[in-house]
Amino acid sequence: MSTSSWADLLRLPAQMVEIGLTVIDAGAKTMRERLDAMAAPPKPRLAPNTPPVHGPQDLDTALADFANQIIRIGWVSSPEGIPLRKFAGDVLNSARRAFGYMDLTNPRTLALPLELPLAAGGIAAETLLRMMALTSVVGPKRLKAFVTNAAEVYVDTAVFIGLEYKEVIERYKERLREKPDDYTTRLELGRMYVKCGLHDEAVRELDLAAQDPATRGRAKHESALAHYRAGRFPTAVDDGVAAMTADPSNERARAAMWLATRSMSGYPASVPESFRMELKVGYEPARVQFENIAAKIGLDKISAGRGTAVFDYNNDGLLDIVVTAAHAGCSLYRNNGDGTFTDVTVKSGLDKCINGFVIIAGDYDNDGFQDLFVTRQGFYYGDCGLYHNNGDGTFTNVTEKAGVQSWGPAYTASWVDYDCDGYLDLYVAYNLGGMFDRSLQNRLFHNNGDGTFTDVTEKAGLQSVFTTIGSCWGDYNNDGYPDLFLSSGLGRPQLFRNNGDGTFTDVSLEAGIVDPVVGTTCFFADYNNDGWLDIVQFSWSDHEDAIYTMKTGHGPEDGSPLVVYHNNGDGTFTAKTRDVGLDGCWGTMSGNYGDVNNDGYVDLLLGNGSPRMERLEPFILLENDRGKFSNTTFAAGLPFAGKSHGTNCADLFGDGRMSILIAAGGGYPGDLLMTAVHCPKELPGNYLNVRLTGVRSNRDGNGARITLRCGESRQMREVTNGASFGCLPLEQHFGLGKSGRVDSLEIRWPSGLVQRVEDPPVNQTIRVIEGQAGWSHVYAQPAESAG
Amino acid sequence: MSPETSAPRVQEIGGLAGPFTLPGVNGGQINLSTLLDAKKGAVVVFWSGVCSHCIRYDGYLNSFTERHPELALAVIASRAGETPEQIRKTMAERGILFPIGHDQGSVVARQWSTEQTPRAFLVDSGGVLHYRGAIDNFKYPGDPEYVGHLETAISEFLEGKPVKRAETSSFGCAIQSVYYTLPKHL
Repeated sequence: MSTSSWADLLRLPAQMVEIGLTVIDAGAKTMRERLDAMAAPPKPRLAPNTPPVHGPQDLDTALADFANQIIRIGWVSSPEGIPLRKFAGDVLNSARRAFGYMDLTNPRTLALPLELPLAAGGIAAETLLRMMALTSVVGPKRLKAFVTNAAEVYVDTAVFIGLEYKEVIERYKERLREKPDDYTTRLELGRMYVKCGLHDEAVRELDLAAQDPATRGRAKHESALAHYRAGRFPTAVDDGVAAMTADPSNERARAAMWLATRSMSGYPASVPESFRMELKVGYEPARVQFENIAAKIGLDKISAGRGTAVFDYNNDGLLDIVVTAAHAGCSLYRNNGDGTFTDVTVKSGLDKCINGFVIIAGDYDNDGFQDLFVTRQGFYYGDCGLYHNNGDGTFTNVTEKAGVQSWGPAYTASWVDYDCDGYLDLYVAYNLGGMFDRSLQNRLFHNNGDGTFTDVTEKAGLQSVFTTIGSCWGDYNNDGYPDLFLSSGLGRPQLFRNNGDGTFTDVSLEAGIVDPVVGTTCFFADYNNDGWLDIVQFSWSDHEDAIYTMKTGHGPEDGSPLVVYHNNGDGTFTAKTRDVGLDGCWGTMSGNYGDVNNDGYVDLLLGNGSPRMERLEPFILLENDRGKFSNTTFAAGLPFAGKSHGTNCADLFGDGRMSILIAAGGGYPGDLLMTAVHCPKELPGNYLNVRLTGVRSNRDGNGARITLRCGESRQMREVTNGASFGCLPLEQHFGLGKSGRVDSLEIRWPSGLVQRVEDPPVNQTIRVIEGQAGWSHVYAQPAESAG
Repeated sequence: MSPETSAPRVQEIGGLAGPFTLPGVNGGQINLSTLLDAKKGAVVVFWSGVCSHCIRYDGYLNSFTERHPELALAVIASRAGETPEQIRKTMAERGILFPIGHDQGSVVARQWSTEQTPRAFLVDSGGVLHYRGAIDNFKYPGDPEYVGHLETAISEFLEGKPVKRAETSSFGCAIQSVYYTLPKHL
């Protein structure tokens, strides 16, 4: 059967896949319960609490681990054939690793002959269904590249996080000692060196791999990349030409070459016209001009960046910054109030918080100091951490004490007071930890009010069907309770309505949330100022679609741009993309929002790229003009970012200029980029910043809604963590354009209290306390304007 | 084998850095106080043979004492589970010439508030800390954004000036990680 007919067969309606997944889950659960009744108490498919330092303890994990191990071995072995004895040895070792630690004293093991096919079938069927869902999302044309790229990410995450890259290099070298003319293996060795940032070694191997016509094109492409990364731009262009001569359809080589010429004076004459490209996006008229001030303010760190959170850790009123890192500890930067930041990581103890991914700030114990919750890895298993802010500049790891420990591929998390009881609850969402994996249920932890949490997922009825990449909270139906939106990388998104009694109902289908995309981060915001929260779901397009967008100014017809779910105000949504100017296809890993041009409409910020070394693409700014978006990235002075994580947006200096914070770089050690802070050169319009302090409500005011009125116009913001991968500050920024006054602010607190502030000031940052009339300045005022 | 001071201390810029004596992976001892004899100061670098970022600084560290004869260099291998044998093998493979002290159990790393490699410190002859953090922000040769944090600090220090940027964010590989304790992936 040819590839395309296989793909046709796989292209089944998404609902069937979903039914399949649900049936498998239910079927497996029922059968497990039967088996468990015979052998041991039931075990729900939730993340285990501790890392399996002694190997997997349950059959599902062991089997998935075994399958992933085989993929890794296959990946790092020569495609020309693995010596059978070696392979058999590897498989045996994998089996020992995967199954050797299972608890044989557990009575459940007696049921192994029954359980084994059940577990294997479960994993196989889930994987197949995921492939079907993926096919229906990305289309058969893109499937192969998508799956290959995903497999490489999964293999490499495990290899690099355990610092086993040396073993992989040794495997390749061993193979080449036996068979020096195995050019495919030599190409892989060269690629491995590129990932490690060892450019000279990479070029040496890739030059050899280029001798074989079969590998020449790819080897030259990789070599172009190595030279580009090493700062040898003209050589990168020469190799790009060689790569495209070998394979004129290699769009990634075209993009790499183009990128190199940006550090030169354009294309040299040696580059044929047909290999060139022009950047046709990002030049629509901008209403704000940025400059990168990271080095000036002390944030110029090579970041290997992941998540960021902007929060005031020491309660001095100034917004501070924390950035997680792929292989090392967090960095905490204290805002000095004079336009600079100081690294206070060591004193804070957050340097011990290593391998962080998403980091979110929230004051879960209402002591006035925001605490931190961190997930690890996202594409691989890790242990989540809760860090209590002690109020003296230090943090203490209280994960276990609080009862929120879990070991799994947690991607995103959010603080939310879902039951409006005055304490922040915690939602943790899980992605997949490997190519083969049984999915884990996302978890809702209810805050008991005494520093501990209780898992209430099942009671709340929050069954996530697909693995989750983005999760966000917002009250879409204006009933006072935050609802939940989940964005999946492999299937349709889900919308859960909060019933107000601690339970949730999946209303996705009736709400019209049905379009599957390769979803990434998401958030609730009122993009058109109609008083109803809309949903923005970012999407991840493959590299070719992003290059197509760069070349032509719009995404391919069959591509997947990000989606704005327009809230119709009656419980339903309408998906909007191209009709509101969203026609670019980008690999958005970390999207977020903020009104950067101070016109009163929230603008979209797209942090783009992928873990792959070759994938460098621009960060994109989509300015929102009364509900229509235009790509103004380069016109606004933003540089070609390369690879952006942890996109954040905040008024860091308390002067109304919304800076865009990007934790750049990737997980590979050779993927070196610096944290960027793009600050508007001038104030693009008037503004008002509002901070809330809850009294009966949770102290953060998380979930509170602020409606600003000014004549006929109004703006509404809800206090949340935003898109989480880039945890936005609690401070709500309202752009006022040319308007010099605000009529009123109306605050609806999670407690139900509605409070009004008449005639608040403009171009100020003010604080409103729940139940107290009036407002106060956050920042000290110059003497002449005091009072 | 064990450091001279057992009491953990937080080391701040301007304060004393904890002295240490560590066995060298190629024999002998690496003692900070001895190293500082007749020197204006010392650079201490926490390092690992497995760290994929330390590799970039082999050349820099090999030529360090030649470039800065007035400074001593102490390189410390603290990564959990890395044995002297492994380090010796790495040194031979990569042509590493600088002596390396083995910090069993990452004791000195903890005292020196170090969670990742590479991380550099500059101390004066009296053991007072003048700089801690990254060696530089290297991305590629000729990068217009390049800043040699450690070299800048050394220049200021040797000129007798206060170090303007005495602390920068380290970046690299974790010394301790749960992923190093899991069964191997390959």
